[in-house]
Amino acid sequence: MAIIHAHRLRKTYPSGSTHVVALDDVSFDVQQGDFVVIAGRSGSGKTTLLNMLGALDRPDSGTLKVAGQDLLSMGEAERANFRLWHIGFVFQAYNLIRVLTARENVAYVLQLQGKPSRERLKAADAWLAEVGLEGMGDRRPDQMSGGQQQRVAVARALAMSPSLVLADEPTANLDTHTGGELIRLMRRINEKNGTTFVIASHDPAVIDAAHTLIVMQDGRIEQSVCRD
Amino acid sequence: MSEVSLARSWGIYAVLGWRNLWLHPLRTFLTASALAVGIAALIFLSAMDDGWMQQIKRNFALTVTGHIQIHARGFEQTQRLRQHIQNPAPLMPLVRAQDGVKEVVLRVRASGLASSAGANAGVLVFGVEPEAEARLSRLSDFLVSGSWLRSDVQHEVLLGDGLADRLQVGLGDKVVLMAAAPDGEIASEVFRVRGLLHSGVLDIDDLFVIAPLPKVQQWLGLGQGVTDIVIRVTDDDRVTPVWNSLRSLLDGDSFEVLRWNDIDPMAEQWAEFADVYTWIILLIVIVVVLAEVLNTMLMSMHERVREFGLMMALGARAGHIFVMILWETIVLVALGAVAGFVLGGVLVFWFGREGIDLTRFAVAFSFMYMDPVVYPRFEWSSMARIIGASLVGALMAGILPALRAARLVPARALREL
Repeated sequence: MAIIHAHRLRKTYPSGSTHVVALDDVSFDVQQGDFVVIAGRSGSGKTTLLNMLGALDRPDSGTLKVAGQDLLSMGEAERANFRLWHIGFVFQAYNLIRVLTARENVAYVLQLQGKPSRERLKAADAWLAEVGLEGMGDRRPDQMSGGQQQRVAVARALAMSPSLVLADEPTANLDTHTGGELIRLMRRINEKNGTTFVIASHDPAVIDAAHTLIVMQDGRIEQSVCRD
Repeated sequence: MSEVSLARSWGIYAVLGWRNLWLHPLRTFLTASALAVGIAALIFLSAMDDGWMQQIKRNFALTVTGHIQIHARGFEQTQRLRQHIQNPAPLMPLVRAQDGVKEVVLRVRASGLASSAGANAGVLVFGVEPEAEARLSRLSDFLVSGSWLRSDVQHEVLLGDGLADRLQVGLGDKVVLMAAAPDGEIASEVFRVRGLLHSGVLDIDDLFVIAPLPKVQQWLGLGQGVTDIVIRVTDDDRVTPVWNSLRSLLDGDSFEVLRWNDIDPMAEQWAEFADVYTWIILLIVIVVVLAEVLNTMLMSMHERVREFGLMMALGARAGHIFVMILWETIVLVALGAVAGFVLGGVLVFWFGREGIDLTRFAVAFSFMYMDPVVYPRFEWSSMARIIGASLVGALMAGILPALRAARLVPARALREL
């Protein structure tokens, strides 16, 4: 079952007197439970595409359905609500709210979802343990390494039981070893829980882990490979 | 898919707002301190103002006017002796029976001319009951030489010292007073100067002649008649109830019942002016609070654009971000306000007990019916205004950054570093 159905997406950004084409005629489907990596050089349109999938930005034209919902017909409030209930995000850096502890960062989205205090703290601790951060719930982001912060972001993305986890260059600020550990963690969760991941990255370790690889260049899909 | 409820997630924004303030403790401390000093100064100034105004009102009312006066209808406007109360005796028990009446005196008030061997001057003659008058008004406090009037000494008067200078007379000298009697005839009488008054109030010092009531009644052919029944009440709050009660009891066609501020609106206008002045200061405080807090909150907002983008990406709605920033602003102002109230309260309490000695400016102060020692006074109504002004300032200062943050586009905000 396709969790993402994108058809002929196009997005341009104004740049001085002209327009830069960020996405051009992008069409693809992603199946539930897939582990997709969108690869490509900087400026190829990876982040723009990820922003579309996460309801953070709108295409100029095309059709986009995620988790069965038409993102283009939604208003801003609906899109915020959609993100809260369907999309887990892991960004490249500055992923966490710096005044909250690791536990509170994970629990934050659960609080937005209206979960009771005890339930969300229990879930936060469980997910921190799942990503290998047991006993570190009281640490603030500035008391954690970059790899640990990214693990907290993964825990937060998963704690909300999303339809889809979107990760934008999650290993870009990590050393090779830590980046490798993070991607193995995501892969393990994908295999264990069947959570769908779409990761934008040009890191070879991440690309190697992909089940489906989409290669982008100049806003277009250059190649799409499914490794069965 | 459930709706995101702001109420359900309120707690986290209260926590976030509070902790964000302490991300930059020095900045928060400096902003809150500036607010505290401003609010403390405002509280102290406002308490000084309230203390002053209480003195002015009390002194003004008790210097001569009393709290309430009863006249024959129309007298206050015409000041003609023809419009006098012919027989005040039946009214006195009625007036004294009012709850809150402390003292009642009778007076005759007339404009006239005073002549001495060397000069003439226009005067305002007051016929008073010496002992009762000393209990009601402050006139006896102004005696600077000689002695206060006595009921059994009829041909003696007290003069304002400025008037005595103009007439070139001193204690024991003769003064001839002339005034129009109710029938229009000019009547004159000879008196000796028994004492001199100095109040600092120009009218009293340059115009007042105070004489025993029976002698003035006899001189002007009034019989038992008086122009004023003057009432002092136990405290300021009783003025209006007693005034209302007397107005309902007395025949409106024959009598007029006036409060001190109806008779001479000057003190009331000073009070109103002081109110305007307080509002101007409040306005300045709002602007200062607004500028101070706006600056801090805008800085804080610009530093956290990416964080707001992150929160929005995670599902926070514009309303959540708006409330969070507004909450931060209110907490920041509340911190400053609480510290300011404590500081201002201590100052008001201390100086309210000890007083602020401004004897150096006593001459100017007496002109304004003010005592040389000022006691700041804590009035809840003034404090409520300051709290309100601080809150309005906080809300106004918080709205702009909160709106800006709430209008961020998540994808663009996430690109900010």
